[in-house]
Amino acid sequence: MTRLLTRNLTKRFGGLCAVDSVNLTLREGEILGLIGPNGAGKTTLFSMIAGSIQPTAGEILLDGHQVTGLPAHRCVRAGIVRTHQIVRPFGNLTVLENVVVAAIHAHRPGAGHARDRAGEALEMVGLGNKLDHYPSTLTLAGRKRLELARALATGPRVLLLDEVVAGVNPTEAVAFAALIRRIRDERGISVVMTEHVMPAIMSLSDRVFVVDRGKQIAEGTPQEVVANPAVVAAYLGTEAAAEAAS
Amino acid sequence: MMAWYQGPQARRFAVALVVVVALLGVLPVIGIDAYIHNQLTLLFITIAGALAWNWMGGFVGQISFGHAAMFGIGAFVSARLMLSLHLPVPLCWLGGAVVAGVFALGAHPLLRLRGPYFSIATIGLGEASRLVFTFWEKFTGGSSGLSLPIDSIMKYQLYWYALILVGLVAITSVAIRKSSLGLKLLAIKADADAAADVGISATFYQDLIFVLSGAVMGLTGGMYASYQSFIEPNDMFGFDRAISFVLIAVIGGVGVSLGPVLGAVVFVLVKIYLLTSHPDLYLGLYGLLLILVVLFEPLGLTGLYRRIARLVGPKRPAVGQAK
Repeated sequence: MTRLLTRNLTKRFGGLCAVDSVNLTLREGEILGLIGPNGAGKTTLFSMIAGSIQPTAGEILLDGHQVTGLPAHRCVRAGIVRTHQIVRPFGNLTVLENVVVAAIHAHRPGAGHARDRAGEALEMVGLGNKLDHYPSTLTLAGRKRLELARALATGPRVLLLDEVVAGVNPTEAVAFAALIRRIRDERGISVVMTEHVMPAIMSLSDRVFVVDRGKQIAEGTPQEVVANPAVVAAYLGTEAAAEAAS
Repeated sequence: MMAWYQGPQARRFAVALVVVVALLGVLPVIGIDAYIHNQLTLLFITIAGALAWNWMGGFVGQISFGHAAMFGIGAFVSARLMLSLHLPVPLCWLGGAVVAGVFALGAHPLLRLRGPYFSIATIGLGEASRLVFTFWEKFTGGSSGLSLPIDSIMKYQLYWYALILVGLVAITSVAIRKSSLGLKLLAIKADADAAADVGISATFYQDLIFVLSGAVMGLTGGMYASYQSFIEPNDMFGFDRAISFVLIAVIGGVGVSLGPVLGAVVFVLVKIYLLTSHPDLYLGLYGLLLILVVLFEPLGLTGLYRRIARLVGPKRPAVGQAK
């Protein structure tokens, strides 16, 4: 079943077309890898789906309902939540408070409920023993886990992960991959993730979606995509693509 | 998480508040001279205004230099209601509060700005309202001002009205700070965009707080007008007045729910003392205080108090409030 769908989603910044008629489909309980060279439009695509920026044209459907152009906080309540490439914890709140504040709108009545959901989310990402710490005392990986917990606490159906593994050490990267898989398996959340760390994305993704210069150029299983000449050309240049084909 | 009105801390606050308000409430009955009676009335009004300013400046982190606008509107609307419609005085104050709240909602476009840009825009808001109300002679009497029909009994009773107001505003401050609303405001203060990414609308909550804060400011302005029984736009909407709320909150502790109470006490004491002995020095001293606080103790007197409490008292974990 289709969870999230974009139809001809387009974003122009003046003369630059950052995202050009992208049709992306995310199925229920799927992990979709979104890859592309630097400046391909991955983050812009994310920002539109999460409501941080308004699309120029096209539409976004969540479970068949229009969410096109909703502001970010409404998208979260509809069930789409994102994490940022550069983590943005609330520095003046403790780890627990950071997540409680995100959980408040997930289930309206009662702050007690929010506290429980926050606790569960923190337990899941492995920060259960750091509740009273301030984000500044966490390592980068810790802050990325916090960002993930905060997103989880909003009770999403679709989780957009922007380079969550980037910048952490290899051991942590493996742990993150396992965590993302658990989030999908245990909570049934559909995940779209961008990543520059190829092994992580290739091993995690059920399908991979490739964009280059704002356009979608390939889609398929990780094996299909790496064999696709257009993808090789986008990453390594046309010469390398010709070599790979011969 | 416990609701704001539960737990030992809330109980301590409730007991302290009841005791303080009760003591202050019976003070005039025991007998204090008229001068102290008046200064205390003024102090209550000042505290209420500074607390309401702190909701916007401290909790949301949007420093407003334009709160005198709502203060002045509350003053003139309530004065007009008294003069033209002869309504009971407390009703006139409420009328002023409602109009001031609506006016604050009209400032909605400003709330798109953050940080210094917001502050600068509020200076414009304050000064523009000062000019408009100075030239709107039919309503405000222009530079010659308005005299309010306040008799000596009402002026005497104002003490208790102001005391009730300050009690309610103090409770509201703590309620906002300790409830989930306070948590959301802190999140907005830290990062409005990240707050939106977890489902919190910065626009909505800023509007809400600005309207609440503006309405209380209007109420405060109305009581102040009744206390003075003569008001004039250049004074009510003056920049000095707008700055005084900022000063009180900064001296007391920006963002600390009851910090402005401390600030207001110091502010009023200094003012009383210096206005009588060295009137030319008093603004200079405030400037100096402001510089010292910003340089050495960003949480103001509250921060100083906590530092001392940590040194002499039993070890308590540092409270990382409000940056």
